[in-house]
Amino acid sequence: MPENPLTEEVLDAREEAYLRPAAKPTVDSRKFFLSSLLLVLALFPVLQIVSGQFNYWLHMLLFTFMNITMAASWNIIGGYTGYISLGHNVFSGMGGYVAGALLVFYGLSPFLTAPLAGAFAFLLGLLVGLITLRTRGSAFIIATIALVLLAKLGLDNLELLGGTNGVSLPLPPLPARVVKLPFYYGMLLTAVGAVYTSYRIRHSKFGLGLRAIAQDETKAEVAGIPTSQYKILAFAISAFFPGMAGALWAYYLTYLRPTIYFAVLGAAEVVLMTLLGGRGTVSGPVLGAALLVILNEFFVAKFGSTELNIAGTGLLMLLVLLFFPDGIVGTLRERRKLPRFLDWG
Amino acid sequence: MIQLVQVLLLGLMLGGVYALMASGLTLIFGVMRIVNIAHAAFILFAAYLAFWAFKIYHIDPMVSVLFTMPLMFFLGMGIYKLVFPRIGESRQFTSMTVLLTFSLALIVEGVMGFLYSGIYRSANPPYTTRALLLGPFYLPAAQLYATLLSLILLGVLFLFLRFTRTGRAIRATMQNRTAAQIVGVDVERISTLAFGIGMALAGASGSLVSFLFTFFPAKHWQWIGTLLALIVLGGMGSLSGSVVGAFLLAVVAAYLGHFYGPTWSPITFYLALFLILLIRPQGLFGKKLEA
Repeated sequence: MPENPLTEEVLDAREEAYLRPAAKPTVDSRKFFLSSLLLVLALFPVLQIVSGQFNYWLHMLLFTFMNITMAASWNIIGGYTGYISLGHNVFSGMGGYVAGALLVFYGLSPFLTAPLAGAFAFLLGLLVGLITLRTRGSAFIIATIALVLLAKLGLDNLELLGGTNGVSLPLPPLPARVVKLPFYYGMLLTAVGAVYTSYRIRHSKFGLGLRAIAQDETKAEVAGIPTSQYKILAFAISAFFPGMAGALWAYYLTYLRPTIYFAVLGAAEVVLMTLLGGRGTVSGPVLGAALLVILNEFFVAKFGSTELNIAGTGLLMLLVLLFFPDGIVGTLRERRKLPRFLDWG
Repeated sequence: MIQLVQVLLLGLMLGGVYALMASGLTLIFGVMRIVNIAHAAFILFAAYLAFWAFKIYHIDPMVSVLFTMPLMFFLGMGIYKLVFPRIGESRQFTSMTVLLTFSLALIVEGVMGFLYSGIYRSANPPYTTRALLLGPFYLPAAQLYATLLSLILLGVLFLFLRFTRTGRAIRATMQNRTAAQIVGVDVERISTLAFGIGMALAGASGSLVSFLFTFFPAKHWQWIGTLLALIVLGGMGSLSGSVVGAFLLAVVAAYLGHFYGPTWSPITFYLALFLILLIRPQGLFGKKLEA
């Protein structure tokens, strides 16, 4: 019988299923947790409509959704497939620019054009993947860094969209009390879409192929997995939701500016979130994104320095890589202590 | 016509410095298969050392090579010992090492930003404003000296790799790590040493960068983009390839800057990178890009 790392996984899963108690609990704690979480998040803006005191919380949640979208998407290529993208914010940045340009020149609302921005990011990912993912190893990583630098350089010199100064975008004509709400729901939907896509991929034949590539690409290829196509598709999919989220985020920030949208720190934070939560797990990036947003807020409030923020991000990443490489969810699962409400597959 | 030759000369004079910067990166990749994303950050770190030595103690940046090189050599060996042995021969070696060096780059950038702020710096020894006349052409003294020093250092590196026992062991490890181990090369020691040498080359490059360019902490991202393009063009892990790639792209960038304005010249490197990956992923001299 051929040696295949995946058979072991199947056998393990079967064994686990045999050992499980026969009677099912009456309430599935995972379903309960997720549906109540979504319900609370969907109803939260009511507080703002009633009292008008919750703009800060709406902002923080929105920002968290944005980061969840980024981390969950990065995880598809960086976690499942094992190919590190060091410039994933190029897709959110380009999404923002596409939607922003459509707003400035044609007056089209980014709420309508966000999927278009996502599609643009998807195509960009496909193109870059076609060039860099035909080979294995480091070429891809190098290209992802170059892509951010290229995008920044190009947009810095694009006078049509303000060059280095960028352009400002008009806010939707809504009273201050509710202006954040469409952004909130748009970003929530995008984040749910990204996480659900990640979950579906993880439980598909495609996802199994991606994980096989991460384990051993040669063996995966011998087993008949079309590795190149899988890798390229995974990268393109991982670009879609960031493109969409970027469109909403740019509209929300009300400006386009290359230095902010194509900063390497942005890309680094996405990587750190996924590593912290657990690379290659479904719930890990969500948990990591939420944790890092809280941590960052605390850190900035306490020290307020962006330079230290960069060093802190790097140091935390180094420590996680050296001493905690499986992340929170990965480590808990390894020790079989992962609470069921976080076990999303 | 005269102007075109002049641009060629200017490009060639930067090429030597680019080659020196890329050589350390190539050596580290060649021996250990580590893409050192932090290489440019360490170059900038050394550039700050040279800058302050010039500013405070009036040490000529060309002379500061004498201390930036040994300092970075030991720093490099220390970092290698501290960070890399832990990951060993894991399957995810490429992604792990890239993430590790990426986090090192962030740490170095953050520390530099904290210590030196984002102010644009550049050392200005007297020769930065001088130029030598060669017939109808003029050669800026700073670039000329920097490239000459780079070529000397590269020559020493070449002789070291060619004619010493350790150098031969390094080349053997670059060619085939397992085979080198079988014939008795202490691969771990050689790796530590090579990382140190690569970092020493970064130190020397930093001394030269300190008076050739204006720099600030976040500038290293732009530099690492440039350097990665050079070593991909040369064929990753091929030292002679990276030198040829450096001169080639420096000249192309000089012409592009001449015709379309200096803001566009960095685009040479990124476009070249994608073109090479598209047409000839193994680079000019290299084997297939695998790690």
